[in-house]
Amino acid sequence: MTAGVDDAVARGRELGVALSDDELRRIADHLGRLPTATELFAFDAQWSEHCSYKSSREHLKKLPTEGPSVLLGVGEDAGIVRLGEWNGETYGIVVAHESHNHPSQVVPFEGAATGIGGIVRDVLCMGAEVIGIADPLRFGRLENEHCRYVAQQVVDGIAAYGNAIGVPNVGGDVFFDESFDDNVLVNVVALGLVKEKDIIHSRAPEGSVGWDIVLVGKATDRSGFGGASFSSLTLDEEDADQNKGAVQVPDPFLKNVIMRASYAVFAELRANGIVAGFKDLGAGGLAGCSAELCAAGGMGAEVELDRVSTAQRDLPPEVIAIGETQERLCWIVPPSFTPTLLAIYNEMYSLPRVARGACAAIIGKVSDTGRYVAKHCGETVMDVDLEFLTGGVRYHREFVMPPHSRETELERERAVVDAVRVRPATLLARLRAVLAHRDVASRASIFRRYDGVVRGCTAIPPGFADAGVLVPVPGAPLGVAVGIGGNPRYGKIDPRHAAELAVAEAVGHVAAVGAHAAALTDCLNFGDPTVPEQMGAFVAAVDGLAHAARELGVPYVSGNVSFYNRSSSGKHVAPSPIVGCIGTIADVSRIATMGFKHAGSAIVVTAPLELALGGSVIAELLGIASATLPELRYHAFVRQCALVTDALACGAIASAHLIGDGGTLAAIAKMSLTSPRRCGFRVDPKPVAEHAGHEIVWFSEVPGFVVEVVDAASFAELGARHHVDAYDAGEVTGEPDAVIGDERVTLAELREAWEAPLREFYGASTGSA
Amino acid sequence: MLVFPGTNSEDETLRAVRAVGLEGELVHWSQPEKLARFDAYILPGGFAYEDRIRAGAVAAHDAVMDSVIEAAQAGKYVLGICNGAQILAEAGLVPGTGPLRRPTAAFAPNASGRFQSVHVHVKLAVDPSRVPILAGIEPGAVIPAWASHGDGRLAAPDDELARIERDGHLAFVYCDRDGTTVAAPNGSALSCAGLVNAEGNVLAIMPHPERDAWTFQHLDATRDAVRGNTEEMLAPSGGIVFFEAFARAVLAEAIA
Repeated sequence: MTAGVDDAVARGRELGVALSDDELRRIADHLGRLPTATELFAFDAQWSEHCSYKSSREHLKKLPTEGPSVLLGVGEDAGIVRLGEWNGETYGIVVAHESHNHPSQVVPFEGAATGIGGIVRDVLCMGAEVIGIADPLRFGRLENEHCRYVAQQVVDGIAAYGNAIGVPNVGGDVFFDESFDDNVLVNVVALGLVKEKDIIHSRAPEGSVGWDIVLVGKATDRSGFGGASFSSLTLDEEDADQNKGAVQVPDPFLKNVIMRASYAVFAELRANGIVAGFKDLGAGGLAGCSAELCAAGGMGAEVELDRVSTAQRDLPPEVIAIGETQERLCWIVPPSFTPTLLAIYNEMYSLPRVARGACAAIIGKVSDTGRYVAKHCGETVMDVDLEFLTGGVRYHREFVMPPHSRETELERERAVVDAVRVRPATLLARLRAVLAHRDVASRASIFRRYDGVVRGCTAIPPGFADAGVLVPVPGAPLGVAVGIGGNPRYGKIDPRHAAELAVAEAVGHVAAVGAHAAALTDCLNFGDPTVPEQMGAFVAAVDGLAHAARELGVPYVSGNVSFYNRSSSGKHVAPSPIVGCIGTIADVSRIATMGFKHAGSAIVVTAPLELALGGSVIAELLGIASATLPELRYHAFVRQCALVTDALACGAIASAHLIGDGGTLAAIAKMSLTSPRRCGFRVDPKPVAEHAGHEIVWFSEVPGFVVEVVDAASFAELGARHHVDAYDAGEVTGEPDAVIGDERVTLAELREAWEAPLREFYGASTGSA
Repeated sequence: MLVFPGTNSEDETLRAVRAVGLEGELVHWSQPEKLARFDAYILPGGFAYEDRIRAGAVAAHDAVMDSVIEAAQAGKYVLGICNGAQILAEAGLVPGTGPLRRPTAAFAPNASGRFQSVHVHVKLAVDPSRVPILAGIEPGAVIPAWASHGDGRLAAPDDELARIERDGHLAFVYCDRDGTTVAAPNGSALSCAGLVNAEGNVLAIMPHPERDAWTFQHLDATRDAVRGNTEEMLAPSGGIVFFEAFARAVLAEAIA
């Protein structure tokens, strides 16, 4: 033990870092001296849960990450999946996934906006053009005034940022649940396009000793100082002001220009055959980013903090080094290229004219020492071993697996019969109530706040199908779909099963537009990992994610973990594994939206007839507390997905929709309400109700699809080939009515029930399409 | 095609222009010296200088706009889409009834107070002979487009609105797919979606025809009709007619 060890603990406590006493001792012991403030903040960020995955890593290794479609697996800022070949080039889709939960709870507009800002940089730094984003959102109850504020501001922040940078928002989902009253979840998936040969890695290239480290972007300020470790804390009302300071300030207009300037840099690098390193400044700021870049390349770094452009004079070195000011990236380039790089950012795209103090500037050099050395005003403020700094720490957290209980079939049926007796209603009345449920109601009023079509590559914007579809390579028939899965009501009942259903949902969503599931990306939002039950829910969910991905044969290419989603009153969020599925399409002429296309088509259901109501919308409406989630039979589900994509490809079906919240009848209604020809539908509910034992089965959220069959013979043949049992549910009509048995309602009335709840909250806006 | 800090629709607009047989290139705000040699100018959509003061106002006063204003006054074609339309209004080029850079009408924040992105149709509301910049466009042509903006509501004093309508400055109005005029989704006066100057060489249009200019982008039955036909699915159609008319005008002028 060295003399500085105990002082280090005192100093750490004095500076307010989140490092534990043990961690502080380890750092001082390793350095053999009292760490500087800059060093302590650097370790605070690098060893935070946010950066180091210290509680989750041992479990995350269970996730399958390999497959023939993977061009670049987990490990860098984003993963890359193969899209396809065009004109002799292999194209990849860059996939990144992040949460910005804590910032969005504290300052919702800025928090949500900078969530997009950060993820876009993760994609950009792979050498990719950013082509799309999607946001899974989990809000608290809209009855609660603060939740209303958060729910409005988050959507505004996403819109303000995404619209300004010109990246289309192509999907996402929204749930409202009391467990998010004090902790909103704001996840974001971003996609990029890059040729396989043009991928840029987040590391100092081989032989880069003596190369320039160039910082690009906004002038460094005090905003976002301590963001990484703040994300690993429980939010407390008393620290509200301090927490606000930890949230970054977005500047999407500057980002718009930085993105375009970076595309110009990519072109120059490619034209000159130069290999460079490029990485986004996120958690841990400049020191975190440049340290990880150099560590990944087995190099060292010498950084002059005085050369960093700052917005204020006299910023202390720890703020310059660790602060998380937005809109910054870091390059490692050979000195011969540096003048070109600086000219593109500073002159052609004139960053200094776009925002005060914004620029590209050399701030240091790559060394071969394996150490990170930072100087400020002639003083060495940081001198640490890179491997020790970035190697992180590991913890084994105690966990208790969640209990597992299911009712018997008899108990389930009895509960339904009893509930229906207490709340009698016709199927149509129940359908209206289901469509108006907060988790089923139309999201159009949210999606319309986002630009879903900028860049001119959007084939299916959000709201028209289960997945958004982009056609990212101009002239090529290649398509990419992004589908989202995850349901907090399921998460509360059984985190493992909920995770499995989230994977199936995401995969099913891309199948429903005709895409082939190529890769998964996960964001795991959980409570405090030091609470064994919360850690257990996490472990169970990872087990579920791993199992489902293996069964469905789709690997993970990126992911994120967000712990400590817990309020000061001790309330944890519903275990929320949220999954994105990237689907690839060889020929976009085969895709389809979910709206009914032709009067006279048969409405066919490929899902099993099962009364599994756990976590369902109808169970909530009926007051049934069931713990039985829908069963996921993997082989059957894979066959259903194959049937749907094949049937779309050959034209046997004209539209498909995965059964989700609200069950089969709600799915049929939504296909009618999104019909480009305003087609109605007719359903005879009796045979299905009799077969399943109860008409409530029409609202059972079973994994499967509703499809619009236009060529019955071909569909039957395909169904037989894929061994899928399907049943007829009714037919598409040319009348503007919905007919359920002997009940009839106009589509206008049904539409009002579906659209009114969120329209009233988010505001109306109509087009003519 | 002039790009300002914040422009975000340059790529798809350039693709549309190239698809109709024109050559085009991007010129950045930092490169005014490059502007002189072109036959026509397009200001694409997005934002400019954070849309401070009013959307398009700062860009309209940027020195780089001097060349565009000169070109417009010399009779060259100038097309502004979305933010480009806002800039042309702020520059006083449309409706062009007042002095330069002293706008008589502006595209103000939507009635909803919010950015909104909705699919729309717009209809040519003026005699085609009044808009040489869209040579050969059909009378009453209906064009699909996306209205994706926060500031697209035409606002002007009553007498100016009357002048816009009377003197043929109202180039496009919002309509349904059959061409019946409808209330603008943004609350725009006169249901205005586009303005043209008296000479018919400067056109400002708020919605984006370039975002519904390929068959794969159509959300109506026209896409469904060519399902399975890859070539047709990737072919230009719909909003491309707007650019075809623009190309006819530019090519005719360049040849003349």
